[in-house]
Amino acid sequence: MTELDADHANQGLRQWLLSEQPASRRQARSGQAYRAWLAFRANRLGMLGLGIVLALVLVAIFAGFIAPYDPLLGGDLRTERLLPPSWDHLMGTDDLARDIFSRVVHGSRVTLLVVGLVAIIATPVGLLVGTTAGYFGGWVDTVLMRVTDIFLAFPRLILALAFVAALGPGIENAIIAIAITSWPPYARLARAETLTIRNAEHIDAIRLQGASSGRIIWGHVVPLCLSSVIIRVTLDMAGIILTAAGLGFLGLGAQPPQPEWGAMIAAGRKFLIDYWWVATMPGLAIFIVSLGFNFLGDGLRDVLDPKAQK
Amino acid sequence: MSPLLSVENLRISFPSRQGPVEVVRGVSFTLGRERLGIVGESGSGKSQTGRAILGLTPVSGKATADRLEFDGIDLRNATPAKWRSLRGARMSMVMQDPKFSLNPVMTIGKQLMEAVKLHGGASEARDKSVAMLEAVQIRDPGRVMAAYPHELSGGMGQRAMIAMMLVTEPDLLIADEPTSALDVTVQIEVLRILDRLVSERGMGLIFISHDLELVSTFCDRVLVMYAGRVVEELDAAKMNEAKHPYTRGLLGCLPKIVGDVRPLPVLARDAAWLE
Amino acid sequence: MALIDIENLEVTFGSRGHVVHALRGVSLSVEEGESFGIVGESGSGKSTVLRAACGLAPVSGGRILIDGVPVATPRDAAFYRRVQMVFQDPYASLHPRHTIDRVLSEPLAIHGFDRREARVEQALVEVGLGAGFRFRYPHQLSGGQRQRVAIARALILEPKVILLDEPTSALDASIQAEVLNLLDRLRAERGLTYVLVSHDLAVVSHMCERLMVMQNGQVVEQLTRQALQDHATTKDYTRNLLTASEGFTRSPVPHS
Repeated sequence: MTELDADHANQGLRQWLLSEQPASRRQARSGQAYRAWLAFRANRLGMLGLGIVLALVLVAIFAGFIAPYDPLLGGDLRTERLLPPSWDHLMGTDDLARDIFSRVVHGSRVTLLVVGLVAIIATPVGLLVGTTAGYFGGWVDTVLMRVTDIFLAFPRLILALAFVAALGPGIENAIIAIAITSWPPYARLARAETLTIRNAEHIDAIRLQGASSGRIIWGHVVPLCLSSVIIRVTLDMAGIILTAAGLGFLGLGAQPPQPEWGAMIAAGRKFLIDYWWVATMPGLAIFIVSLGFNFLGDGLRDVLDPKAQK
Repeated sequence: MSPLLSVENLRISFPSRQGPVEVVRGVSFTLGRERLGIVGESGSGKSQTGRAILGLTPVSGKATADRLEFDGIDLRNATPAKWRSLRGARMSMVMQDPKFSLNPVMTIGKQLMEAVKLHGGASEARDKSVAMLEAVQIRDPGRVMAAYPHELSGGMGQRAMIAMMLVTEPDLLIADEPTSALDVTVQIEVLRILDRLVSERGMGLIFISHDLELVSTFCDRVLVMYAGRVVEELDAAKMNEAKHPYTRGLLGCLPKIVGDVRPLPVLARDAAWLE
Repeated sequence: MALIDIENLEVTFGSRGHVVHALRGVSLSVEEGESFGIVGESGSGKSTVLRAACGLAPVSGGRILIDGVPVATPRDAAFYRRVQMVFQDPYASLHPRHTIDRVLSEPLAIHGFDRREARVEQALVEVGLGAGFRFRYPHQLSGGQRQRVAIARALILEPKVILLDEPTSALDASIQAEVLNLLDRLRAERGLTYVLVSHDLAVVSHMCERLMVMQNGQVVEQLTRQALQDHATTKDYTRNLLTASEGFTRSPVPHS
């Protein structure tokens, strides 16, 4: 009986969401989101990507519970060094007798931090610069885009090196360096989108309602650029993870003993031939998470980007 | 004399979340060497009918017919090779917007000559192309031959496009809103070209349009389509004797230059028309 | 004194070497409560007149006066409360991600109107849509319904002048009749002044008491509806337009 009721309630909710005549702002918005979700759900690879990314988030949150050992403290250096994968140590142990599985699990926090901070810093900056340049055109456009070009011309790793030289090595400085070099592509993308939107009749229409430029950019242009920028950011995430790992590998990112996947690979490089798992396991983690973001980005594109449809 | 084209019970459906939707529901007609107009509002299935005759139904759609015959050739089971030998050479289509139908990185002349060569006659390709451009009232064919599509105005582009479709001297031309993007004065010129091709070369023309008045003055016969069906077939000259309420409603709701009917009569749609 | 006075309006686009004169010395005046039509083919500059009037096209010469007062550049809030515009393409003139509610309440918010909820619902009722449409998105509406929303948006600030840029050319004939009737009724009820641009002589003749024919950015002539209906025109260009509008004729028409 209760099951039937629940079923009924579900049906009701579905109808409420898919109503062609929503009765409130909230219903209209949720209905829109639900339709997008229905479209996204049909995309298997996209769902797989979403699953991987969600798993990364969960693992990062509950790392303390999932990891069986301390990620920083090693075991007995005489007996537990460089053990191959077993039931005791799912991914084996490294040269300091630390459990690699626990380190990979804790390393997800660093990865998530990098991904999250870069997305939070680079996306709004790129969007704002791009839409402003595209909307106003003229000298505003010229100045902003030349600045963008300058940032685009910095090689990421070299800039990171400079930062590290100036501020000292550490994951925070690596994140800043990555964020500073990753917004220009979003600015260019947002500008290109804005150029096509700028002359749309609905923008003329809101201009004729007397709206200020700020209101037009924020309320009318940005929402239309947002989806393509989000897609691009998601697809770039794999590259950002790899850059962070690359910095770690060079010893410029996270510092030992912090468990960071790139640094772990660097540490395992010395024993690659005899003890393959030390470098392979964090490499596998980078591979899976990067793939997840790519799948998610492709899935989002299928749903959000009107040009990819049909 | 057997007709140039005969269509019987043409049906076209597209899949949707609620199952297949029929956009053309049992259309039948025959075409001789004449001007046949197909009129209807957006969504009436007139364009899909035209495309289906050329086998250009989008891949997601499904077209079936009891009979679809062009000059004795059954088009329903035509192989891709058969289609290639028919399209362009014997049957052609002019679309609404020339910009999407011309190759933007090739000169008009090259595209025209290629069309001629593909269907035999490489030697006189250039002369033929120039002659065709002259036939569609392009006053400076030499310049147009060397021009890229974006260098031409809308009317010129549309004429170049018509020239391209006609240079192979097809027996059947399907024109889908060929003049809607053009100004009225240019529109009449383009129609005059089509008109001459029908009367001089004996081409069959299917003229698809939303403009009932234009079609009634230009064509010999008119099919009025509503929601995927032909609701009425009329002699163009006898448009005023239309019986179906939809045709009469369409004629009535147009504003006239002379006469002051206020408010304009609006079309009251009847669910029975769908049957 | 006329409500709208445009004197010797010049508009040029482009810069250095590649200058296009979109308008060359266009003058017109529209009385309060009148409906004035502008007819021309593509490139004649007919839409540019409207766009220049409301500040969407750069004016390089001439004057625009409303009630005898030159308009400010850029246009101020008071201008937008008196003059509004309806665009040609109902599929492009509504923001695809905004509900009808947002489309209609935004101008109210910009100009600080009170009773916004009531005004939005009333506007929808007035254009014949009803409050049930309030929270829909544009993609859930047909072309005719969208154009009604665009008309509601133009009316919601209670302007005196509505500029109509080919308001029905993207619509089917039967829908066009409905929208033209709606515009006619609203003008009578509210005493609005219309400036209507169209390529369709029949639409202009139906809607406007006076009209102006344009070609290549210049005025060919101004005439009354009666003169148009009687073919009382002195210009060949207008005569050609009239003939062409009456459909296809087998006998050749002299070239212009």
